[in-house]
Amino acid sequence: MPLEGEPDIAPPDAHGTEPPDPNDGELVSRCQRGDAAAFNELVTRYRGKVYAMIYNMVHNEQDAWDLAQDGFLKAWKSIARFRGQSSFYTWLYRIMMNVTIDSLRRKQVGGETEFDDSIGLRNIDPGSVTTPRAGAHPQDKIAGDEIRSRIDAAILRLSPEHRAVILMREIDGMEYQEIADALDCSIGTVMSRLFYARKKMQSMLRDVYENL
Amino acid sequence: MKTFEERLAAWLEGRLTGRELAAFERELEANPEAVAETEADRELGNLLRAHLTAPPLGNADFFNHQLLRQIEADPQAPARAARRPLFWSLRRMVYSGAFCLLLATALYFAAVPRTRRQMLHNELYVHNVLNASATDPSITASEVVHVRSDDPNVTATCFHSKDNDVNVVWLDGLSYLPRDHKLK
Repeated sequence: MPLEGEPDIAPPDAHGTEPPDPNDGELVSRCQRGDAAAFNELVTRYRGKVYAMIYNMVHNEQDAWDLAQDGFLKAWKSIARFRGQSSFYTWLYRIMMNVTIDSLRRKQVGGETEFDDSIGLRNIDPGSVTTPRAGAHPQDKIAGDEIRSRIDAAILRLSPEHRAVILMREIDGMEYQEIADALDCSIGTVMSRLFYARKKMQSMLRDVYENL
Repeated sequence: MKTFEERLAAWLEGRLTGRELAAFERELEANPEAVAETEADRELGNLLRAHLTAPPLGNADFFNHQLLRQIEADPQAPARAARRPLFWSLRRMVYSGAFCLLLATALYFAAVPRTRRQMLHNELYVHNVLNASATDPSITASEVVHVRSDDPNVTATCFHSKDNDVNVVWLDGLSYLPRDHKLK
């Protein structure tokens, strides 16, 4: 899934009577003049991608809905400060990710232990990750739902920052620089977080994906 | 010089080309641990992509409706925020105008009136001299016989005022004329 979510401008029909859809820049300009209808169009354009991204972070449909609403509202309030230095979707993605990470951090303060960075790292053997485990669960015994629940559980054990980078990289297909821009950190930080996130996920899911 | 991880990321993203690509692939061949790690990362990525599918956004139209209601209820419109950076708002223009007016007034009383006061003082002095003949008979018929002053800027002139029919002795440069001094 590419980061650059700006859809191409639809060409006019054969008779030239159909006006092209306005691009993101035009809609943003209208939003900056207070045009809520233009913002409504941007919401329609990106709500699906935004919701999916947040859902994969929080694993709860209602939370994902609420956070997407919160993120879009923040985007509306601050759209006057959008200067077009990145694409609108990259800017929106950054807002949504910040909203989501903040929400996860607030829950973390509530005493949950699932974001403990030390979990699983001691047991990682870099040389063993490609060695199939014959005695583990065979593929035909693991249903898709079970795999999904295992993945969900593993993701929930990651810190919000580690969760964000691995989802941005593996699910949204973002490049390192794009992730760094979205999270306002360096590429080195992205790489470091991605390394630990992968190692933790591998340690928790090794028996799953090595036997598929 | 890019680190191995940076080159690995570039390789995974297909950004390495030509000699850089060939050199890195040779480096990978000589580093089986890195290859194994990369392969494990790929497997993990494939697993996540295959199973991490988010449900579609339900009630999508209601999502927009709810959001727009919040926007309408919120007084902070982006257009208003966009105008905020402008310096010359109406209120600031009024304040700036009042400040300029005060500054001009202060400058007037501080600088300009000094010369004007001096002019008024001189006019009053001349007026008194010109009218002196009518009120003070002792100086109606004066004659300048001698001017003595330590100040070289002091000058004395004499003229006849036809309107008042008097001879005027005009002393310039004196800040005051002591009472015990008389014109002879």
